[in-house]
Amino acid sequence: MINLDEFLEYLDSLGFSLGTGVPCSYFKDLLLAINEYDDILYVPATREDEAVGIACGFSLGGKKAFVIMQNSGFANIGDALTSLVQLYEVPLLIFISYRGLEDDDDLPEHSLMGKVTEGVLRAYKIPYWILMEHRWKAILEKALHKMTQTSLPVCLLVKNGVLCK
Amino acid sequence: MKCSEAVSQLRDVLRGDEMIVSSNGHISRVAYHFLPRPQLYLRGSMGLPMAVGLGLALAHQHKTIIVLTGDGNFLMGLGSVTTISYLSPPNLKIIILDNEAYATTGGQETVSTAIDYPSMIQGMGITAVKSTDPHEAKDKLNKLLEQTICEPGPKILHIKIGKEMIPLDYIPWHPVRICLNFKKQHNINSKTEEKNDV
Repeated sequence: MINLDEFLEYLDSLGFSLGTGVPCSYFKDLLLAINEYDDILYVPATREDEAVGIACGFSLGGKKAFVIMQNSGFANIGDALTSLVQLYEVPLLIFISYRGLEDDDDLPEHSLMGKVTEGVLRAYKIPYWILMEHRWKAILEKALHKMTQTSLPVCLLVKNGVLCK
Repeated sequence: MKCSEAVSQLRDVLRGDEMIVSSNGHISRVAYHFLPRPQLYLRGSMGLPMAVGLGLALAHQHKTIIVLTGDGNFLMGLGSVTTISYLSPPNLKIIILDNEAYATTGGQETVSTAIDYPSMIQGMGITAVKSTDPHEAKDKLNKLLEQTICEPGPKILHIKIGKEMIPLDYIPWHPVRICLNFKKQHNINSKTEEKNDV
């Protein structure tokens, strides 16, 4: 498990001051920690594409935001990615929970999306990494380097138990 | 009243330092041709102009952010009204240009005629909502625009407009150029590490 305070302090130190998204139970502890963290505002969005729009506006205002969603909700953001974030070249950090793997592949609402998540990310040309507990900072650094270098969105896939207490 | 006439009236109440987000299609073209440039002209992302405006309003709490949206776009992103209501950013102003149609794609009907906009929006928690129609006097619209833009608080102004559109050229700037021009206008350094004051 990644220490959530360290994780948020790291994002904060890089200038991220806003998070927005739609919850997943994989992010339950993280969202509680964000709400207790003074220097990052969390905006609960009504839909995942709305969260992308909010983060995009914040970023176009010269500040840094990250987005949180479940992979089922990732299926809601196609147009927000292609005709907003990628079209206007807005750097954006997206955390997507990786549902539908061995932990919950018996849940039918997750099983198909679990199988296609990485393929859909590749189809949308979104660089992605799987967040690992033991070297999370190095992975995040690599993703953020790519985001800054390309001025485009990047994604971190988060499996069960990685971002929790 | 044409969309371009309503937007021209908006121009008369601007101070000049507002950030305007216009929604995809005809409204962005009207904003480009009838308002001071540059603004943030969206070319896609149907349903998201209010979300983008909300993000800007949170990033720049001392600037006035104006979102110009059509009825189709507004209804697609209706959830954002509740998010705006929840956060209540005092610097965010939404102007709905309601022609009861998806004008850009050929004038197909929206469901707008079924809706009482002020009641719906008030029910979502934004009390500062006004509505006007094309039969009302020009000076009344001017007054409503001034109240919406200049008085503090999240506000929504619903303006009924006609379906007729004047032909306008496409915005000649690529979206990346739109962003660069917008940021330059507002002295936004895209590489800034500055924190927001939330």
